[in-house]
Amino acid sequence: MTLALELGFIALADAAPLIVAKARGYFGEEGLDVALHREVSWATIRDKVAAGVFQGAHMLAPMALAANMGVGSEPTPLIVPMALNAHGASLGISRALAAEMERFLPEAPLDVAALAAVVAARAASGRPAVSFATVFPYSMHAYMLRYWAASGGVDPDRDIRIVVAAPTAIAARLKSGEIDGFCVGAPWGAMCEADSAARIALRAATFWPGGPDKVLGLSQSWADADPAATMALVRALIRAAVWADAPENAAELAKLLSRREWLDAPATLIGRALASGPDQIRFARHAALYPWRSHAAWILSQQMRWGQIGAGIDASTALACYRPDVFRAACLDAGINAPSTDSKIEGAHDRPWNQPGLRGSIPMTADLILGGGAFDPERLHEYAAGFAISRLGS
Amino acid sequence: MKLLIVDPDPARATLVAEGLADVRPLEIRQTARLEEEELASFQPSIIVIACDSPDRDTLESLRDATSANPRPVVMFVDRSAPGLGEAATRAGVAAYIVDGLQPARVRSILEVAMTRFQLMQQLRTDLAKAQSDLAGRKTVERAKGLLMKERQLTEEEAYSQLRRLAMNSGRSIAAVAADLLIFSGVLKGDKS
Repeated sequence: MTLALELGFIALADAAPLIVAKARGYFGEEGLDVALHREVSWATIRDKVAAGVFQGAHMLAPMALAANMGVGSEPTPLIVPMALNAHGASLGISRALAAEMERFLPEAPLDVAALAAVVAARAASGRPAVSFATVFPYSMHAYMLRYWAASGGVDPDRDIRIVVAAPTAIAARLKSGEIDGFCVGAPWGAMCEADSAARIALRAATFWPGGPDKVLGLSQSWADADPAATMALVRALIRAAVWADAPENAAELAKLLSRREWLDAPATLIGRALASGPDQIRFARHAALYPWRSHAAWILSQQMRWGQIGAGIDASTALACYRPDVFRAACLDAGINAPSTDSKIEGAHDRPWNQPGLRGSIPMTADLILGGGAFDPERLHEYAAGFAISRLGS
Repeated sequence: MKLLIVDPDPARATLVAEGLADVRPLEIRQTARLEEEELASFQPSIIVIACDSPDRDTLESLRDATSANPRPVVMFVDRSAPGLGEAATRAGVAAYIVDGLQPARVRSILEVAMTRFQLMQQLRTDLAKAQSDLAGRKTVERAKGLLMKERQLTEEEAYSQLRRLAMNSGRSIAAVAADLLIFSGVLKGDKS
Protein backbone atom coordinates (compact mmCIF):
# COMPACT_ATOMS: atom_id res chain seq x y z
CA MET A 1 0.00 0.00 0.00
CA THR A 2 1.35 3.40 -0.86
CA LEU A 3 0.69 6.58 1.06
CA ALA A 4 0.11 9.81 -0.88
CA LEU A 5 2.05 12.84 0.39
CA GLU A 6 2.18 16.45 -0.80
CA LEU A 7 5.44 18.29 -0.10
CA GLY A 8 6.48 21.83 -1.06
CA PHE A 9 9.85 23.15 -2.19
CA ILE A 10 11.51 26.32 -3.48
CA ALA A 11 13.77 26.24 -6.56
CA LEU A 12 17.14 25.98 -4.79
CA ALA A 13 20.03 23.51 -5.06
CA ASP A 14 19.48 22.53 -1.42
CA ALA A 15 16.09 21.04 -2.31
CA ALA A 16 18.17 18.24 -3.89
CA PRO A 17 17.37 15.55 -1.27
CA LEU A 18 13.64 15.93 -2.06
CA ILE A 19 14.14 16.07 -5.83
CA VAL A 20 16.59 13.15 -5.89
CA ALA A 21 14.33 10.98 -3.72
CA LYS A 22 11.48 11.67 -6.14
CA ALA A 23 13.44 11.26 -9.38
CA ARG A 24 15.35 8.14 -8.31
CA GLY A 25 12.31 6.40 -6.87
CA TYR A 26 13.47 6.35 -3.22
CA PHE A 27 10.09 7.58 -1.96
CA GLY A 28 8.33 4.83 -3.87
CA GLU A 29 10.65 2.18 -2.43
CA GLU A 30 9.61 3.36 1.04
CA GLY A 31 5.93 3.00 0.11
CA LEU A 32 5.38 6.73 -0.32
CA ASP A 33 3.71 8.35 -3.31
CA VAL A 34 5.12 11.88 -2.99
CA ALA A 35 4.03 14.83 -5.12
CA LEU A 36 6.50 17.75 -4.99
CA HIS A 37 5.05 21.22 -5.49
CA ARG A 38 7.30 24.14 -6.43
CA GLU A 39 6.31 27.37 -4.73
CA VAL A 40 7.74 30.85 -5.20
CA SER A 41 7.40 32.15 -1.65
CA TRP A 42 8.39 30.86 1.77
CA ALA A 43 5.25 32.35 3.32
CA THR A 44 3.14 30.21 1.00
CA ILE A 45 5.13 27.10 1.94
CA ARG A 46 4.54 27.89 5.61
CA ASP A 47 0.81 28.57 5.13
CA LYS A 48 0.20 25.48 3.00
CA VAL A 49 1.75 23.28 5.69
CA ALA A 50 -0.32 25.10 8.34
CA ALA A 51 -3.51 24.60 6.31
CA GLY A 52 -2.78 20.92 5.70
CA VAL A 53 -2.44 21.37 1.92
CA PHE A 54 1.12 20.02 2.34
CA GLN A 55 2.18 17.55 5.02
CA GLY A 56 5.70 18.97 4.96
CA ALA A 57 8.20 21.04 3.04
CA HIS A 58 11.71 22.28 2.33
CA MET A 59 12.04 25.12 4.86
CA LEU A 60 14.45 27.77 6.07
CA ALA A 61 15.54 26.54 9.51
CA PRO A 62 14.79 29.93 11.16
CA MET A 63 11.36 30.06 9.49
CA ALA A 64 10.44 26.65 10.93
CA LEU A 65 11.36 27.90 14.43
CA ALA A 66 9.52 31.22 13.97
CA ALA A 67 6.37 29.52 12.65
CA ASN A 68 6.36 27.19 15.65
CA MET A 69 6.59 30.11 18.05
CA GLY A 70 3.91 32.05 16.16
CA VAL A 71 6.40 34.78 15.26
CA GLY A 72 5.43 36.40 11.95
CA SER A 73 2.40 34.12 11.56
CA GLU A 74 -0.17 32.23 13.54
CA PRO A 75 1.53 29.50 15.61
CA THR A 76 2.04 26.49 13.31
CA PRO A 77 3.04 23.31 15.13
CA LEU A 78 5.86 21.72 13.12
CA ILE A 79 8.57 19.20 13.74
CA VAL A 80 12.05 19.29 12.24
CA PRO A 81 13.24 15.66 12.05
CA MET A 82 16.23 16.46 9.81
CA ALA A 83 18.25 19.15 8.10
CA LEU A 84 18.63 19.04 4.31
CA ASN A 85 22.06 20.62 3.81
CA ALA A 86 24.82 22.89 5.02
CA HIS A 87 26.27 25.76 2.93
CA GLY A 88 25.25 27.10 -0.48
CA ALA A 89 24.35 30.69 0.41
CA SER A 90 26.51 33.53 -0.83
CA LEU A 91 26.67 37.18 0.15
CA GLY A 92 27.43 39.26 -2.94
CA ILE A 93 28.14 42.84 -3.87
CA SER A 94 27.16 44.52 -7.15
CA ARG A 95 29.93 45.51 -9.49
CA ALA A 96 29.20 49.21 -8.86
CA LEU A 97 29.23 48.89 -5.08
CA ALA A 98 32.40 46.76 -5.23
CA ALA A 99 34.07 49.54 -7.23
CA GLU A 100 32.93 52.11 -4.64
CA MET A 101 34.29 49.92 -1.83
CA GLU A 102 37.57 49.49 -3.65
CA ARG A 103 38.19 53.24 -3.64
CA PHE A 104 38.23 53.19 0.15
CA LEU A 105 40.10 49.95 0.70
CA PRO A 106 41.97 48.91 -2.46
CA GLU A 107 43.80 46.09 -0.68
CA ALA A 108 40.58 44.40 0.53
CA PRO A 109 37.66 45.80 -1.47
CA LEU A 110 35.21 43.10 -0.41
CA ASP A 111 35.94 43.44 3.29
CA VAL A 112 33.17 44.69 5.56
CA ALA A 113 35.50 47.54 6.56
CA ALA A 114 35.20 48.84 2.99
CA LEU A 115 31.42 48.66 3.29
CA ALA A 116 31.60 50.63 6.55
CA ALA A 117 33.61 53.33 4.75
CA VAL A 118 31.05 53.53 1.92
CA VAL A 119 28.17 53.68 4.41
CA ALA A 120 29.83 56.57 6.27
CA ALA A 121 30.66 58.44 3.07
CA ARG A 122 27.13 58.06 1.68
CA ALA A 123 25.57 59.22 4.94
CA ALA A 124 27.87 62.26 5.05
CA SER A 125 26.97 63.29 1.52
CA GLY A 126 23.26 62.53 1.90
CA ARG A 127 23.22 59.82 -0.75
CA PRO A 128 20.80 56.85 -0.46
CA ALA A 129 21.80 54.02 1.87
CA VAL A 130 23.29 50.83 0.46
CA SER A 131 20.57 48.22 -0.02
CA PHE A 132 20.84 44.45 0.28
CA ALA A 133 18.25 41.83 -0.62
CA THR A 134 17.79 38.66 1.31
CA VAL A 135 15.19 35.93 1.07
CA PHE A 136 13.09 36.08 4.23
CA PRO A 137 13.16 37.89 7.59
CA TYR A 138 13.65 34.52 9.32
CA SER A 139 16.49 32.97 7.31
CA MET A 140 20.15 32.10 7.80
CA HIS A 141 20.73 34.42 4.83
CA ALA A 142 19.39 37.36 6.83
CA TYR A 143 21.41 36.42 9.92
CA MET A 144 24.60 35.88 7.90
CA LEU A 145 24.22 39.30 6.26
CA ARG A 146 23.43 40.99 9.58
CA TYR A 147 26.28 39.22 11.39
CA TRP A 148 28.78 40.17 8.70
CA ALA A 149 27.67 43.80 8.54
CA ALA A 150 27.65 44.19 12.32
CA SER A 151 31.12 42.60 12.56
CA GLY A 152 32.39 45.64 10.68
CA GLY A 153 30.45 48.15 12.77
CA VAL A 154 27.63 48.52 10.21
CA ASP A 155 24.24 48.42 11.93
CA PRO A 156 22.01 46.36 9.60
CA ASP A 157 18.84 48.14 10.74
CA ARG A 158 20.14 51.70 10.75
CA ASP A 159 23.05 51.98 8.34
CA ILE A 160 21.91 49.88 5.39
CA ARG A 161 18.56 48.92 3.93
CA ILE A 162 17.57 45.26 3.88
CA VAL A 163 14.74 44.22 1.56
CA VAL A 164 13.27 40.80 0.93
CA ALA A 165 12.95 39.23 -2.53
CA ALA A 166 12.33 35.71 -3.78
CA PRO A 167 15.56 33.80 -4.56
CA THR A 168 14.61 33.58 -8.22
CA ALA A 169 13.99 37.37 -8.38
CA ILE A 170 17.26 38.55 -6.82
CA ALA A 171 19.44 38.28 -9.95
CA ALA A 172 16.98 40.44 -11.92
CA ARG A 173 16.84 43.08 -9.18
CA LEU A 174 20.61 43.24 -9.01
CA LYS A 175 20.85 43.58 -12.77
CA SER A 176 18.32 46.43 -12.83
CA GLY A 177 20.25 48.25 -10.10
CA GLU A 178 17.42 48.13 -7.54
CA ILE A 179 19.74 46.52 -4.99
CA ASP A 180 23.48 46.84 -4.30
CA GLY A 181 24.01 43.45 -2.74
CA PHE A 182 22.33 40.20 -1.71
CA CYS A 183 22.53 37.08 0.37
CA VAL A 184 20.89 34.14 -1.41
CA GLY A 185 21.15 30.37 -1.77
CA ALA A 186 22.62 28.45 -4.70
CA PRO A 187 22.46 28.65 -7.65
CA TRP A 188 21.11 32.21 -7.55
CA GLY A 189 24.31 33.78 -6.17
CA ALA A 190 26.25 32.22 -9.06
CA MET A 191 23.62 33.63 -11.41
CA CYS A 192 24.27 37.12 -10.02
CA GLU A 193 27.98 36.59 -10.71
CA ALA A 194 27.31 35.36 -14.24
CA ASP A 195 24.65 37.93 -15.18
CA SER A 196 25.87 41.10 -13.51
CA ALA A 197 29.51 40.41 -12.59
CA ALA A 198 28.60 40.55 -8.90
CA ARG A 199 31.47 39.80 -6.50
CA ILE A 200 31.05 37.30 -3.68
CA ALA A 201 32.22 38.74 -0.35
CA LEU A 202 31.30 35.83 1.90
CA ARG A 203 30.09 32.27 1.43
CA ALA A 204 28.13 30.28 4.01
CA ALA A 205 30.92 27.69 3.91
CA THR A 206 33.30 30.40 5.18
CA PHE A 207 30.85 32.21 7.45
CA TRP A 208 30.17 29.06 9.42
CA PRO A 209 31.44 25.70 8.14
CA GLY A 210 28.73 23.13 8.83
CA GLY A 211 26.25 25.76 10.02
CA PRO A 212 22.47 25.37 9.61
CA ASP A 213 20.51 26.23 6.44
CA LYS A 214 17.43 24.32 5.17
CA VAL A 215 15.46 21.69 7.03
CA LEU A 216 12.56 19.34 6.49
CA GLY A 217 9.57 20.83 8.31
CA LEU A 218 6.64 18.48 8.90
CA SER A 219 3.17 19.19 10.19
CA GLN A 220 3.28 17.99 13.78
CA SER A 221 -0.25 16.61 13.68
CA TRP A 222 0.54 14.59 10.56
CA ALA A 223 3.85 13.30 11.96
CA ASP A 224 2.21 12.36 15.29
CA ALA A 225 -0.60 10.54 13.51
CA ASP A 226 1.73 8.50 11.28
CA PRO A 227 5.15 7.94 12.87
CA ALA A 228 5.91 5.04 10.50
CA ALA A 229 5.43 7.28 7.46
CA THR A 230 7.59 9.96 9.09
CA MET A 231 10.40 7.41 9.48
CA ALA A 232 9.96 6.21 5.89
CA LEU A 233 10.15 9.80 4.62
CA VAL A 234 13.30 10.56 6.62
CA ARG A 235 14.95 7.32 5.45
CA ALA A 236 14.20 8.10 1.78
CA LEU A 237 15.63 11.61 2.17
CA ILE A 238 18.79 10.39 3.93
CA ARG A 239 19.36 7.95 1.08
CA ALA A 240 18.83 10.72 -1.49
CA ALA A 241 21.16 13.10 0.36
CA VAL A 242 23.91 10.47 0.51
CA TRP A 243 23.55 10.02 -3.27
CA ALA A 244 23.59 13.80 -3.81
CA ASP A 245 26.71 14.13 -1.66
CA ALA A 246 28.83 11.73 -3.72
CA PRO A 247 31.24 13.71 -5.95
CA GLU A 248 30.82 11.15 -8.76
CA ASN A 249 27.11 12.02 -8.94
CA ALA A 250 27.61 15.79 -9.09
CA ALA A 251 27.32 16.14 -12.87
CA GLU A 252 24.18 14.02 -13.02
CA LEU A 253 22.70 15.89 -10.05
CA ALA A 254 23.35 19.28 -11.68
CA LYS A 255 21.62 18.07 -14.84
CA LEU A 256 18.64 16.70 -12.90
CA LEU A 257 18.18 19.86 -10.83
CA SER A 258 18.45 22.09 -13.91
CA ARG A 259 15.29 20.62 -15.44
CA ARG A 260 12.31 22.84 -16.02
CA GLU A 261 10.12 21.17 -13.40
CA TRP A 262 12.77 21.51 -10.67
CA LEU A 263 15.10 24.54 -10.62
CA ASP A 264 14.79 25.60 -14.26
CA ALA A 265 18.31 27.06 -14.12
CA PRO A 266 21.56 26.35 -16.03
CA ALA A 267 23.34 23.15 -14.92
CA THR A 268 26.72 24.91 -15.09
CA LEU A 269 25.63 27.41 -12.41
CA ILE A 270 24.09 24.68 -10.24
CA GLY A 271 27.30 22.66 -10.59
CA ARG A 272 29.25 25.41 -8.85
CA ALA A 273 27.38 24.60 -5.63
CA LEU A 274 28.11 20.88 -5.87
CA ALA A 275 31.12 18.60 -5.51
CA SER A 276 34.25 20.71 -5.24
CA GLY A 277 32.62 24.00 -6.28
CA PRO A 278 33.19 27.12 -4.20
CA ASP A 279 29.79 26.94 -2.48
CA GLN A 280 30.40 23.33 -1.42
CA ILE A 281 26.95 22.28 -0.33
CA ARG A 282 27.15 19.41 2.13
CA PHE A 283 24.20 17.07 1.86
CA ALA A 284 25.21 14.24 4.16
CA ARG A 285 28.88 14.23 5.13
CA HIS A 286 30.01 15.57 8.51
CA ALA A 287 26.51 14.98 9.97
CA ALA A 288 25.04 17.71 7.71
CA LEU A 289 21.56 16.15 7.93
CA TYR A 290 21.46 16.11 11.71
CA PRO A 291 18.92 18.48 13.32
CA TRP A 292 21.26 19.85 15.96
CA ARG A 293 19.35 21.52 18.80
CA SER A 294 22.41 23.72 19.21
CA HIS A 295 21.90 25.00 15.62
CA ALA A 296 18.34 25.91 16.56
CA ALA A 297 19.55 27.58 19.75
CA TRP A 298 22.05 29.70 17.78
CA ILE A 299 19.23 30.80 15.49
CA LEU A 300 17.18 31.83 18.56
CA SER A 301 20.18 33.86 19.77
CA GLN A 302 20.12 35.86 16.53
CA GLN A 303 16.34 36.25 16.61
CA MET A 304 16.78 37.76 20.09
CA ARG A 305 19.72 39.86 18.99
CA TRP A 306 17.71 41.47 16.20
CA GLY A 307 14.53 41.94 18.20
CA GLN A 308 12.48 39.34 16.31
CA ILE A 309 11.69 37.49 19.54
CA GLY A 310 11.72 38.67 23.14
CA ALA A 311 14.64 37.81 25.41
CA GLY A 312 12.13 36.27 27.84
CA ILE A 313 11.24 33.43 25.48
CA ASP A 314 11.29 29.88 26.86
CA ALA A 315 14.10 28.44 24.76
CA SER A 316 13.56 24.81 25.72
CA THR A 317 9.96 24.92 24.45
CA ALA A 318 11.06 26.64 21.25
CA LEU A 319 13.80 24.06 20.68
CA ALA A 320 11.53 21.05 21.25
CA CYS A 321 10.39 21.06 17.60
CA TYR A 322 13.90 19.96 16.57
CA ARG A 323 13.76 16.17 16.78
CA PRO A 324 17.22 14.55 16.74
CA ASP A 325 15.57 11.53 18.40
CA VAL A 326 13.46 10.92 15.28
CA PHE A 327 16.53 11.26 13.06
CA ARG A 328 18.54 8.83 15.18
CA ALA A 329 15.71 6.28 15.11
CA ALA A 330 15.53 6.52 11.30
CA CYS A 331 19.32 6.05 11.11
CA LEU A 332 19.17 2.97 13.32
CA ASP A 333 16.48 1.63 10.96
CA ALA A 334 18.66 2.28 7.95
CA GLY A 335 21.93 1.13 9.51
CA ILE A 336 23.53 4.58 9.19
CA ASN A 337 25.66 6.38 11.75
CA ALA A 338 24.32 9.48 13.53
CA PRO A 339 25.56 11.72 16.35
CA SER A 340 24.64 10.43 19.80
CA THR A 341 24.13 13.85 21.42
CA ASP A 342 21.31 16.35 20.70
CA SER A 343 23.56 19.40 20.92
CA LYS A 344 27.16 20.42 20.69
CA ILE A 345 29.20 23.50 21.46
CA GLU A 346 29.08 25.39 18.14
CA GLY A 347 31.99 27.24 16.61
CA ALA A 348 34.56 25.72 18.96
CA HIS A 349 36.83 23.88 16.54
CA ASP A 350 39.66 25.39 14.54
CA ARG A 351 40.67 22.00 13.11
CA PRO A 352 39.03 18.66 12.20
CA TRP A 353 37.61 16.72 15.12
CA ASN A 354 35.49 13.64 15.87
CA GLN A 355 31.85 13.65 16.99
CA PRO A 356 30.72 10.62 19.05
CA GLY A 357 28.11 8.65 17.10
CA LEU A 358 25.81 5.66 17.43
CA ARG A 359 28.22 3.49 15.41
CA GLY A 360 31.62 4.96 16.15
CA SER A 361 32.86 8.47 15.73
CA ILE A 362 31.92 10.81 12.87
CA PRO A 363 34.66 12.93 11.26
CA MET A 364 33.83 16.64 11.52
CA THR A 365 35.54 19.72 10.10
CA ALA A 366 36.64 22.97 11.70
CA ASP A 367 33.51 25.03 12.46
CA LEU A 368 34.52 28.50 13.65
CA ILE A 369 31.80 31.15 13.19
CA LEU A 370 33.13 34.27 11.42
CA GLY A 371 35.43 36.14 13.78
CA GLY A 372 33.45 35.07 16.84
CA GLY A 373 33.84 32.82 19.83
CA ALA A 374 32.18 29.52 20.64
CA PHE A 375 28.45 29.22 21.25
CA ASP A 376 27.31 27.16 24.21
CA PRO A 377 23.56 26.50 23.82
CA GLU A 378 23.26 26.42 27.61
CA ARG A 379 24.34 30.05 27.66
CA LEU A 380 22.11 31.31 24.87
CA HIS A 381 21.03 34.59 26.52
CA GLU A 382 24.54 35.51 27.48
CA TYR A 383 25.72 34.93 23.91
CA ALA A 384 22.82 36.91 22.41
CA ALA A 385 23.55 39.86 24.72
CA GLY A 386 27.26 39.78 24.02
CA PHE A 387 27.26 41.55 20.66
CA ALA A 388 28.26 45.21 20.34
CA ILE A 389 25.47 45.82 17.79
CA SER A 390 22.18 44.34 18.94
CA ARG A 391 18.55 45.32 19.59
CA LEU A 392 18.68 43.73 23.04
CA GLY A 393 18.28 46.31 25.74
CA SER A 394 18.15 49.18 23.25
CA MET B 1 -10.85 52.22 1.58
CA LYS B 2 -8.00 51.45 -0.78
CA LEU B 3 -7.27 47.95 -2.02
CA LEU B 4 -4.23 46.77 -3.93
CA ILE B 5 -4.39 43.46 -5.83
CA VAL B 6 -0.95 41.93 -6.51
CA ASP B 7 -1.21 39.12 -9.03
CA PRO B 8 1.17 38.01 -11.79
CA ASP B 9 -1.96 36.79 -13.64
CA PRO B 10 -3.69 39.96 -14.92
CA ALA B 11 -6.84 38.11 -16.04
CA ARG B 12 -7.35 36.72 -12.55
CA ALA B 13 -6.69 40.11 -10.96
CA THR B 14 -9.35 41.64 -13.20
CA LEU B 15 -11.80 38.93 -12.20
CA VAL B 16 -11.16 39.71 -8.52
CA ALA B 17 -11.47 43.47 -9.11
CA GLU B 18 -14.78 42.94 -10.93
CA GLY B 19 -16.09 40.84 -8.08
CA LEU B 20 -15.24 43.56 -5.59
CA ALA B 21 -16.42 46.51 -7.65
CA ASP B 22 -19.95 46.51 -6.28
CA VAL B 23 -19.17 45.26 -2.80
CA ARG B 24 -18.58 48.64 -1.19
CA PRO B 25 -16.87 51.91 -1.89
CA LEU B 26 -13.39 50.73 -2.66
CA GLU B 27 -10.62 52.26 -4.64
CA ILE B 28 -9.00 49.29 -6.36
CA ARG B 29 -5.67 49.07 -8.08
CA GLN B 30 -4.16 45.96 -9.62
CA THR B 31 -0.52 45.27 -10.30
CA ALA B 32 1.53 42.31 -11.53
CA ARG B 33 4.44 43.25 -9.28
CA LEU B 34 4.61 44.82 -5.84
CA GLU B 35 6.40 48.14 -6.27
CA GLU B 36 7.51 50.04 -3.20
CA GLU B 37 6.85 53.37 -4.92
CA GLU B 38 3.28 52.29 -5.56
CA LEU B 39 2.83 51.20 -1.96
CA ALA B 40 4.11 54.56 -0.78
CA SER B 41 2.02 56.65 -3.19
CA PHE B 42 -1.22 54.63 -3.21
CA GLN B 43 -1.13 53.76 0.51
CA PRO B 44 -3.52 50.79 0.38
CA SER B 45 -5.19 49.73 3.61
CA ILE B 46 -5.70 46.20 2.27
CA ILE B 47 -3.50 44.14 -0.02
CA VAL B 48 -4.78 40.98 -1.68
CA ILE B 49 -1.92 38.89 -3.07
CA ALA B 50 -1.77 35.69 -5.10
CA CYS B 51 0.17 32.92 -3.38
CA ASP B 52 2.02 32.33 -6.65
CA SER B 53 3.37 35.89 -6.67
CA PRO B 54 7.13 35.91 -6.02
CA ASP B 55 6.58 39.22 -4.19
CA ARG B 56 4.69 37.64 -1.34
CA ASP B 57 7.78 37.32 0.88
CA THR B 58 8.59 40.97 0.20
CA LEU B 59 5.16 41.90 1.52
CA GLU B 60 5.63 39.50 4.42
CA SER B 61 8.81 41.37 5.41
CA LEU B 62 7.02 44.71 5.74
CA ARG B 63 5.74 43.84 9.19
CA ASP B 64 8.32 45.86 11.01
CA ALA B 65 8.01 49.60 11.14
CA THR B 66 11.38 50.90 10.01
CA SER B 67 12.40 53.92 8.06
CA ALA B 68 12.01 51.80 4.93
CA ASN B 69 8.56 50.48 5.93
CA PRO B 70 6.69 53.27 7.67
CA ARG B 71 3.35 51.41 7.55
CA PRO B 72 3.70 47.86 8.83
CA VAL B 73 1.40 45.24 7.34
CA VAL B 74 0.07 42.11 8.98
CA MET B 75 -1.38 39.02 7.43
CA PHE B 76 -5.12 39.02 7.79
CA VAL B 77 -6.42 36.20 9.96
CA ASP B 78 -10.00 36.45 11.14
CA ARG B 79 -10.33 34.52 14.37
CA SER B 80 -14.11 34.96 14.30
CA ALA B 81 -14.21 32.91 11.09
CA PRO B 82 -12.04 29.88 11.69
CA GLY B 83 -11.02 28.18 8.49
CA LEU B 84 -11.26 31.28 6.29
CA GLY B 85 -7.49 31.70 6.16
CA GLU B 86 -7.01 28.02 5.36
CA ALA B 87 -9.66 28.07 2.66
CA ALA B 88 -8.01 31.13 1.13
CA THR B 89 -4.61 29.40 1.21
CA ARG B 90 -6.13 26.44 -0.59
CA ALA B 91 -7.60 28.78 -3.18
CA GLY B 92 -4.16 30.40 -3.56
CA VAL B 93 -4.76 33.89 -2.19
CA ALA B 94 -3.82 35.81 0.95
CA ALA B 95 -4.80 39.18 2.38
CA TYR B 96 -2.69 41.63 4.33
CA ILE B 97 -3.95 44.70 6.14
CA VAL B 98 -2.17 47.77 7.34
CA ASP B 99 -1.64 47.42 11.05
CA GLY B 100 -4.37 49.09 13.06
CA LEU B 101 -7.15 48.66 10.51
CA GLN B 102 -10.37 47.19 11.88
CA PRO B 103 -10.54 43.71 10.36
CA ALA B 104 -14.37 43.58 10.25
CA ARG B 105 -14.58 44.85 6.68
CA VAL B 106 -11.81 42.67 5.34
CA ARG B 107 -13.52 39.34 5.67
CA SER B 108 -15.99 39.84 2.83
CA ILE B 109 -13.18 41.11 0.61
CA LEU B 110 -11.10 38.00 1.21
CA GLU B 111 -14.17 35.83 0.63
CA VAL B 112 -14.85 37.46 -2.74
CA ALA B 113 -11.18 37.18 -3.74
CA MET B 114 -11.15 33.53 -2.74
CA THR B 115 -14.30 32.77 -4.74
CA ARG B 116 -12.87 34.53 -7.78
CA PHE B 117 -9.60 32.60 -7.51
CA GLN B 118 -11.59 29.36 -7.40
CA LEU B 119 -13.64 30.50 -10.40
CA MET B 120 -10.47 31.25 -12.36
CA GLN B 121 -9.07 27.83 -11.46
CA GLN B 122 -12.30 26.23 -12.67
CA LEU B 123 -12.19 28.19 -15.94
CA ARG B 124 -8.59 27.17 -16.53
CA THR B 125 -9.36 23.51 -15.75
CA ASP B 126 -12.34 23.59 -18.14
CA LEU B 127 -10.19 25.14 -20.83
CA ALA B 128 -7.46 22.54 -20.39
CA LYS B 129 -10.08 19.80 -20.56
CA ALA B 130 -11.63 21.29 -23.69
CA GLN B 131 -8.18 21.46 -25.26
CA SER B 132 -7.40 17.88 -24.33
CA ASP B 133 -10.83 16.73 -25.61
CA LEU B 134 -10.05 18.42 -28.90
CA ALA B 135 -6.59 16.85 -29.01
CA GLY B 136 -8.21 13.49 -28.19
CA ARG B 137 -10.63 13.82 -31.10
CA LYS B 138 -7.75 14.62 -33.44
CA THR B 139 -5.82 11.58 -32.18
CA VAL B 140 -8.82 9.32 -32.78
CA GLU B 141 -9.18 10.71 -36.32
CA ARG B 142 -5.51 10.01 -37.06
CA ALA B 143 -5.68 6.48 -35.61
CA LYS B 144 -8.79 5.80 -37.70
CA GLY B 145 -6.98 7.01 -40.80
CA LEU B 146 -4.02 4.76 -39.99
CA LEU B 147 -6.23 1.67 -39.57
CA MET B 148 -8.13 2.46 -42.77
CA LYS B 149 -4.90 2.77 -44.72
CA GLU B 150 -2.98 -0.16 -43.26
CA ARG B 151 -5.81 -2.63 -42.93
CA GLN B 152 -8.01 -1.39 -45.76
CA LEU B 153 -10.95 -0.79 -43.43
CA THR B 154 -13.88 1.57 -43.87
CA GLU B 155 -14.11 4.49 -41.50
CA GLU B 156 -16.89 2.76 -39.59
CA GLU B 157 -14.91 -0.48 -39.24
CA ALA B 158 -11.83 1.38 -38.07
CA TYR B 159 -13.83 3.20 -35.42
CA SER B 160 -15.51 0.04 -34.13
CA GLN B 161 -12.10 -1.64 -33.89
CA LEU B 162 -10.83 1.23 -31.76
CA ARG B 163 -13.93 1.10 -29.61
CA ARG B 164 -13.52 -2.64 -29.08
CA LEU B 165 -9.88 -2.19 -28.05
CA ALA B 166 -10.96 0.52 -25.63
CA MET B 167 -13.69 -1.60 -24.10
CA ASN B 168 -11.42 -4.63 -23.76
CA SER B 169 -8.70 -2.64 -22.01
CA GLY B 170 -11.04 -0.46 -19.97
CA ARG B 171 -9.48 2.78 -21.29
CA SER B 172 -10.70 5.71 -23.30
CA ILE B 173 -10.82 5.57 -27.09
CA ALA B 174 -8.42 8.54 -27.22
CA ALA B 175 -5.87 6.69 -25.04
CA VAL B 176 -6.08 3.56 -27.18
CA ALA B 177 -5.76 5.68 -30.33
CA ALA B 178 -2.68 7.45 -28.94
CA ASP B 179 -1.04 4.09 -28.12
CA LEU B 180 -1.75 2.83 -31.61
CA LEU B 181 -0.10 5.90 -33.13
CA ILE B 182 2.91 5.62 -30.80
CA PHE B 183 3.46 1.95 -31.60
CA SER B 184 3.17 2.56 -35.30
CA GLY B 185 5.74 5.32 -34.99
CA VAL B 186 3.38 7.93 -36.38
CA LEU B 187 3.54 10.17 -33.34
CA LYS B 188 7.26 9.66 -32.84
CA GLY B 189 8.25 10.80 -36.29
CA ASP B 190 5.08 12.89 -36.59
CA LYS B 191 4.90 11.99 -40.27
CA SER B 192 1.16 11.82 -40.80
